[in-house]
Amino acid sequence: MNAWKWLALAGALGAALLVAGAVRRRARDSAAGRRFLRHPASTPGVFVLAFFVTLAVAAPLVAPYDPDWMPGIVELQNRPPSRLHPLGTDIYSRDVWSRLVYGARISLGIGALAMLVAVTLGAAVGAVAGYFRRWVDAALMRFVDVGLALPRIFVLLMVVALWEHVPLAVLVLLIGFTSWFGTSRLVRAEVLSLREREFVAAARALGARPGRVVFRHVLPNAAAPIIVSAALGIGNVMLLEAGLSFLGLGVPSPAPSWGSMIFDGTQKMAVAPWTSVFPGLAIAVVVMALNGIADGLRDALDPRREAA
Amino acid sequence: MLRGMPTVAPALPPGPERPARGLPTLCLMLLALAGAGCARRGGCTGDYCGTVVFVTTPEPDILLPPSSQLVVSRDIADQIFLKLADLGMSGNTVGDTDFQPQLAERWEWANPLTLVFHLDPRARWQDGRPVTSADVAFTFDIYTDSVINSSARSALRRISAVTTRDSLTVVFRFRTRYPEMFYDAVYHMRVLPSHLMGTVPREQWRSAAFGRAPVGDGPYRFVRWKAGESLELAADSTFFLGRPHIRRLIWRFTPDLQVAVTQIVAGDADAIEVLGTPDNARRARAAPRLVTYPYPGATYGFLGFNLRASGDTTEPHPLFGDRALRRALAMAVDRVALLRSVFGDLAKVPPGPMPPQWWIWDSEIRDLPFDTVQAARQLTRLGWQASGPGGDGIREKDGRQLAFRILVPTTSAIRRQYARLLQQQFRRIGADVQLDEVEFSVFNERMQAGRFDAVLNSVNADPTPSSSISQEWTQAGIGLSNFVRYANPAFDRLAEQASDALQRDAAKRLWRRAFEILNDDAPAIFLFALDNVAAVDRRVQGVVIRPDSHWALVRLWRIPADQLTERDRAER
Amino acid sequence: MTSWLVRRFAASIAIVFAVVTLTFVLIHLAHGTPFLPTGDRPLSPEVIARLRAQFGLDRPLPVQYVKYVAALLRGQLGESFALRRPVSDALADAIPHTVTLAGAGLFVDFLVGLALGVYQAARSRRFADVALGNVALFFNSMPTFWLGLVLLLVFAQRLHWFPVGGVGDPVLCPTVSSARCLADRLWHLALPALTLGIVGAAGTARFQRAAMLEVVGQDYVRTARAKGLAERRVVLVHALRNALLPVISLLGLALPFLLTGAVLVEWVFAWPGMGRLTVNAILQRDYPVVTATALAASVMVVLGNLAADTLYAVADPRIRIRSDA
Repeated sequence: MNAWKWLALAGALGAALLVAGAVRRRARDSAAGRRFLRHPASTPGVFVLAFFVTLAVAAPLVAPYDPDWMPGIVELQNRPPSRLHPLGTDIYSRDVWSRLVYGARISLGIGALAMLVAVTLGAAVGAVAGYFRRWVDAALMRFVDVGLALPRIFVLLMVVALWEHVPLAVLVLLIGFTSWFGTSRLVRAEVLSLREREFVAAARALGARPGRVVFRHVLPNAAAPIIVSAALGIGNVMLLEAGLSFLGLGVPSPAPSWGSMIFDGTQKMAVAPWTSVFPGLAIAVVVMALNGIADGLRDALDPRREAA
Repeated sequence: MLRGMPTVAPALPPGPERPARGLPTLCLMLLALAGAGCARRGGCTGDYCGTVVFVTTPEPDILLPPSSQLVVSRDIADQIFLKLADLGMSGNTVGDTDFQPQLAERWEWANPLTLVFHLDPRARWQDGRPVTSADVAFTFDIYTDSVINSSARSALRRISAVTTRDSLTVVFRFRTRYPEMFYDAVYHMRVLPSHLMGTVPREQWRSAAFGRAPVGDGPYRFVRWKAGESLELAADSTFFLGRPHIRRLIWRFTPDLQVAVTQIVAGDADAIEVLGTPDNARRARAAPRLVTYPYPGATYGFLGFNLRASGDTTEPHPLFGDRALRRALAMAVDRVALLRSVFGDLAKVPPGPMPPQWWIWDSEIRDLPFDTVQAARQLTRLGWQASGPGGDGIREKDGRQLAFRILVPTTSAIRRQYARLLQQQFRRIGADVQLDEVEFSVFNERMQAGRFDAVLNSVNADPTPSSSISQEWTQAGIGLSNFVRYANPAFDRLAEQASDALQRDAAKRLWRRAFEILNDDAPAIFLFALDNVAAVDRRVQGVVIRPDSHWALVRLWRIPADQLTERDRAER
Repeated sequence: MTSWLVRRFAASIAIVFAVVTLTFVLIHLAHGTPFLPTGDRPLSPEVIARLRAQFGLDRPLPVQYVKYVAALLRGQLGESFALRRPVSDALADAIPHTVTLAGAGLFVDFLVGLALGVYQAARSRRFADVALGNVALFFNSMPTFWLGLVLLLVFAQRLHWFPVGGVGDPVLCPTVSSARCLADRLWHLALPALTLGIVGAAGTARFQRAAMLEVVGQDYVRTARAKGLAERRVVLVHALRNALLPVISLLGLALPFLLTGAVLVEWVFAWPGMGRLTVNAILQRDYPVVTATALAASVMVVLGNLAADTLYAVADPRIRIRSDA
């Protein structure tokens, strides 16, 4: 860990501060933005998230070592934090800090992509169910009930077993495909009330096809709950990935996801706690930031609740 | 509650050495209201008290010896059921001189193919019925039954019949003469009560209710089994070979080895048969309450190369069908460094497929050296060219990358660790290795079907090489445990000769020649052979660990009366 | 109201049935063999074939499914492949442990959550509110199993205040025979229950705070204040009682969360409950146990939802009107 890397780290912090500052300035201009800022956890959330995204993007600049490099599998394993290795080394003598930095790419990446899949699917299903109602709604919502009736980790464990080896892309899709149930319920409720509004009726009267009405007129107006559930969804996916990795069925080796880092460290929890404590803290901090942002967004986008 | 937490905690004694001390304090606090006494006075005193708690990571499946193969099931069932005779401390499986009488008080050879056992007339089932020769004949019938499919079935194939002469005399007839006849007759079978199990249909033995509340003839009786928690046995004070000193044996199930070691260091358990990792060993050796007992292990592990194409056993494997390539890969692995990284001093690099327990262990056996320069040169000579500057460093031949996958079970932390280290080592000489870390059930299915490139496997070997080696590494073992489908007639011939040799010296020479052939062919890289260390509480005396079956002699352990703790004396 | 309940009940049964079907299909299609060699000797192909025939796995999947459902309707859950015992016995051993843990977790969750929420609402937007809110959010954002690992490391392995796992001391208290053994059980329960409870409490606190703030703004609270009642009395008696109603319905909804959270917490604390049973069964392809635990889990979730909805409908007439619309 040389001076340049410390400088890069300081740079990442600076970048995050700049982002947070810019967000604050932009937000002050609108009523919704001011409501967002009034939530105590929103600005720190933006800062933390910006910091970790910067780390992920600039990983090669910030990380002092190759995350897979094993410099001394006998002498350098399970070393406590030191000047050379600020967060210590793991059981394979890899640098925990470098893995944490590169792990931000994988963990945030999985979180964002799987959430994208889940929210797209959830919004589509919810909109279709809410707009068409009757048997479409009944069928889709019963399916959602089924999806919500089993702990997701059980479902994922079974679905993952349908593949002989699960590539990262498939894992992301699978997590996405099992995470959309809650979103679809929210969106459906929103669409149910929106479809009775005048502008929807007007669009229909003008002869727009149902697909156009749903995706052009109804969904954009249901954006608020979708955006909020997306912010929460990233965090939930990260927690889920960590749980799956903890059972040994997560991201394939040697890719350093935070969940798999925790898992690698659990065997040595008694002698080298830093190997799983730091990635766990990283998850907690990022998920907390996302929750804070989601809370702020909810206040901003849904003034009715803001009375509280 | 959140704030209540820290205020409760300091009320406990500051920095207690063992958590058990926290218990009385806590329970005093909780029971001040309940008005019940906390520590019970009195309890058991004298020579036959004592409780030993074993901590294990797996839980037994069933306590019915022919139906289970789990080591932990065997450990527990061996306290309940007896064999005719048992292996001695020497571990010598040839002839009958080193065997100790158990159910059979004596035996004689009526002729070279006929062995006659005389049962101890004092032997009783725990329900009071005498143990008879009919039980032994019944047991043989069960162990050789194809529906029961006990793991000993193949070992018993050379015994043609077991008949009864009178209620205490039983006759074994063999098909052929061979050095380990006596061993096969006595070692594999635990005699079972025909009066209790005779009527149970054979297909129900797999999960017979008897297996969760067994009645045996051994030094300990079954008391209770709480699924996921613990299992308790109690000493049979009328046991005919001598009343056991330890009154209660308790197995507690702790799925995580590290937590199990924490429990034994803290005094929540008294004995563990294997410490597994260097830091666990360090913790146990540093604990003043524990004594560690090293003993040679029965396990060896290796990276096996599938000699046949993955998923198609009719074709040779595109990479590992090539002997020279296998040899190059074997030379690229620094087995000593890997071993020290994973095991510290708790294992050795085996000079072939053998555990330290076998008497044929011979570090002089010729093996391929660790030599990355030679390995790289060999790969280049075979046409696997390192890609030029700017490439990813993976060797190629005719547009094909030097890439393969290693099959690893997620259940084994050790093998996962090895797999990742190997991934790194192979990468250094330009081989791209991906890991298939799969559940144990998938691991087994794929290994059996030959659907893998390379596999990280470990073998828990028999006390003697003859049966193990033929199952794992000869032509005859294909379809059994020879998952890599290695077959070399020269090796098979030497292994057979060595198994039939009556002299240990001659056998050892033959084994050595056989293993040198095997090592030259490099069907596998032999990575580790466990040197086990058990840890037992200091107050337990007379601890002797027999390498082939670590807890076989527990009935001889004792805790002196002056060292009994409250936990020893407690009445249930 | 009655017809609403009947309809909900019928829908619940349909959901449970669908969950069992889905689980049945998924686990049978998964790779891996349910019959594992437990020792060093592999099972020969003939033996595996015979075992498959014995348990009916050689039949086409639809036939197996029909047979399974028929047995299920007669109340038979089958026999576990890996545990070598009837599935119902294994469930009977595991469910009490999970219920104990989930119950204790819920207790901690609501005790801490309600207290925190009320306190925060009373100190709304002041430093204590913001600070506690952030602390709660932090705990709410942790992977539950990781919090368990850390608590285990600190309070069990390092400080020795609590045991490192298991449900009780097998030497002194193999059964709960005395008050002392009850204390021993509670002592073993403390850390896993705290782990589950703390993570959940953060969510409950946020909910309770919002509910309190909503109530505090309403007329009757202002009236109470105007009458000159002490602030403490206003908050604890008038506001809390009314803000409690929606939170009670959270109880029902929290049940599934605790079951999910409990999966990995049970794993960490070596707690022999449903979570560990299920994960092991899935990993070992123990089909009968997997479907049976899916059945049990979905029944609990559905019952929890039903309870929540019913409570809600009973507590708040406005909701009932809306759900009928």
